[in-house]
Amino acid sequence: MNLLLLALIIYCVGAITMLLPKKIELMAHYIAQACAIVASGLVLYKAAFYLLMPSEELLLDTGWGVYTLQADSWSAAFLCLTGLAGIVISIYAIDYAKAFLGKRLRILGGLWNVFLLSMVGVLLAGDAFTFLLTWELMAVSSFLLVNHESEKKETWSAAFQYLVMTHLGTAAIMIGFFIIASGADSLTFADLARSKISPVMQNIAFVAAFMGFALKAGLVPLHVWLPNAHPAAPTHVSALMSGVMLKIAVYGFGRFVFQFFNGFVEWQGILVLVIGLISAFLSVLYAIMEKDMKRILAYSSVENMGIIFSAIGTGMILMSIGYGRLAMVAFTGALVHSFNHSIMKALMFMASGAVMHATGSKNIEKMGGLIKYMPWTACFTLIGSMALAALPLTNGFVGEWLTLQGFATLATRADGHLLRLLAAAAFLLFGLTGALALGCFVRLYGTAFLGKSRSNIVEKAHEMPFFMLLGMGIETVLVVVLGFIPGPLVETLQGVISGGRFNTTMADNFGIIWGGTGSYAIFSPILLGSSLIVIFLVIYLAYKIGGSFVYQDVTWNCGTYPTERQQYTATGFSKPLRRAFSFLLKPKREAIYLRKENAYFGKQVQYKLAVPDQFTERLYAPFQKHLVMTASVLRKIQQGSVRLYIGYAMVALIIVLVWGAM
Amino acid sequence: MEYLVILLLLIVFVQTRIMDLKRSIYCLSLQALVIAIACLVVGFEHAEGFEAIIPSLMTLTIKVVCIPYIMLRLVGQITDETEIKSNINVNYSTAASALFLLLSYMIIDKVLPATAARDILAASIFVILTGLNLIVMRRRAIMQMVGLITMENGIYLLGLMMTEGLPLVIELGVFLDVLIAVVVLVILTSHLRLSFKTTDTNVLRKLKG
Repeated sequence: MNLLLLALIIYCVGAITMLLPKKIELMAHYIAQACAIVASGLVLYKAAFYLLMPSEELLLDTGWGVYTLQADSWSAAFLCLTGLAGIVISIYAIDYAKAFLGKRLRILGGLWNVFLLSMVGVLLAGDAFTFLLTWELMAVSSFLLVNHESEKKETWSAAFQYLVMTHLGTAAIMIGFFIIASGADSLTFADLARSKISPVMQNIAFVAAFMGFALKAGLVPLHVWLPNAHPAAPTHVSALMSGVMLKIAVYGFGRFVFQFFNGFVEWQGILVLVIGLISAFLSVLYAIMEKDMKRILAYSSVENMGIIFSAIGTGMILMSIGYGRLAMVAFTGALVHSFNHSIMKALMFMASGAVMHATGSKNIEKMGGLIKYMPWTACFTLIGSMALAALPLTNGFVGEWLTLQGFATLATRADGHLLRLLAAAAFLLFGLTGALALGCFVRLYGTAFLGKSRSNIVEKAHEMPFFMLLGMGIETVLVVVLGFIPGPLVETLQGVISGGRFNTTMADNFGIIWGGTGSYAIFSPILLGSSLIVIFLVIYLAYKIGGSFVYQDVTWNCGTYPTERQQYTATGFSKPLRRAFSFLLKPKREAIYLRKENAYFGKQVQYKLAVPDQFTERLYAPFQKHLVMTASVLRKIQQGSVRLYIGYAMVALIIVLVWGAM
Repeated sequence: MEYLVILLLLIVFVQTRIMDLKRSIYCLSLQALVIAIACLVVGFEHAEGFEAIIPSLMTLTIKVVCIPYIMLRLVGQITDETEIKSNINVNYSTAASALFLLLSYMIIDKVLPATAARDILAASIFVILTGLNLIVMRRRAIMQMVGLITMENGIYLLGLMMTEGLPLVIELGVFLDVLIAVVVLVILTSHLRLSFKTTDTNVLRKLKG
């Protein structure tokens, strides 16, 4: 029996644990997580084996009735990251989800397996029907997981918003599939790839599919559900949603672009690139304004999805203008960044869960000095933050480097001025995004882990139990290893993109080389790392030999001792950016002067600051208002009288009869 | 056959004018009797022996006897409301029925020109529309049930004429459906009476969210 099918069955077994009696709740939880770990392990093993030992055959090709299961190397790449995240986050969840003991823990464990099952199912689907079925299962199971703490009003409303948005996305994807299927013999992917539809219909199908997948990936302006849903969900669920579910959207988009559309169209590539860049830039700007740790990470997810999509867009433009061989770098960049982002974002969400577990709060303004109480978590978070800020020597940098090379290739190879200008603008926005991301994570880590504690919730913080640390530790090791030795991963994923047709590889054991721009660009982490070590050694020795002195004292503070209220706050840290980008962010500031009893001494000031999401404010809120208004007008025909409704039916019947007779 | 059609039209017109519950049910029974006879006539035209009688026999038992009996029992329970009012004048119902008669002849002439069964097809469409009209214009639940059965009679007649005798299994199914619908409606109506002390369906407006 195929191991992948076995994995699906094990997920089902894990899902059944939600039916176990309440007495053995904890046992059910252990069984569910064990099933998730074993099944994800099988998925990872099988997919990784297929990628490392490429063969002509498909990874999986089977079916049952109208349901077809097929997996090629594009699926295998995503199966790999799903399996990996599934294992690690399930390990983390063994201890983390214990907090839900007595709060529907069995349902949480069962749905966790259903969620993983549905995502693997989407990746294995071999026809449009199975794809949509599993896609819908994924949407519904993730909705139920987000809604797990439905007693809280904000959770419920976030989950409901997510459900509505994700169904709009499914509808758009369905339109895309059906338009393509209108020119094909059957719904299987192989037949859809041979579909004959007119270019106009193809463009409509592309826009519909892009909208649907962009919604799931959370690209601006369809991202509004994401910063609400991720903080509302239990942390291990948000880790899986952010780490894997968003990548499933990339998988689906890639499936459409690479397999179903014959040839690449330039404007489509430009559309994807521009939307991706705007998403990356705007969401990182919002991320740096947020105080909620999980909202920061959620916005950062949007940023990274923007980067991935802009890489895909660059590749599509390069393909359309006839540089197929060079487009490889951008597509590989998208795939590598998807893989790496799933690792580092899972790590960071797990770390935020650890902090929440320890302090009971998500607000970083209340934290500070956590490094003293939870050193391991602090260490993991530091490395995760560095990766998300795309610093070299971590895996977050590799994909962005490849994407930048894609931009550079586009800038040097494009013929028209406009394309070159676009590439230059992409460069600028990308650089700004990277810098803002760095600021965002310096702010996050500095406020939460360094300095003095800002409130007493920090003092009861403690280090995490073993399995949570293990989960974070594995991801941290992967971040560092893949950051130092990116070669094998890049080479494997390049094989996925090129399908083994190109023999030139970008990677060797020391780093990555790209010559598509006309000159050679080399990124060698080992070289970089060793030179950094040498520099540090030199400085250290210079200090040692130079006989510098170290003298420790309290920070000078105009003669007073510094208190925790005098340190930089997270809000203060982002103030310059809030002013510089006030034309985009439109922050709402409000200062109310409350007078004390004594008119001459000390006024009490109440100060409120809010940075509302402009897309919600300007786009969705008016739309919602009009929708409700239209609905209330239409509600006039709903009078609650059965006779009236039958009267409507009668009028309709007469009209149909008369019309039929005409 | 023509006499039957005229009789049926007459009965249905009378139906639109009756506001008394019991008389309305007797009228319904009469209506079904005409249908049963029409059924017998059609049956002897197309078949022989026992098979020709079965549909008409079933119409007789179920629509002429059973359903009116059940409804009459229900009416017997509703002793406290003898007054029957409708907020829409009965004249409007009759006028609408007259319009429907014209309309159904026009439709039949357009759709099936020069058909032999012109009168009976038009009559059946007329019965359907009038039944629907009864449901819409009457407030009392029992009168609405009467409208529903009238409509059903019309549909049955139309089916009978168009197909010249349905297969027995389908006939059985149709009769069972009607019987069950009536039983359910009777239960609902008595619940309506228990909950709201009336069978006026306007009280259901309260259920609107």
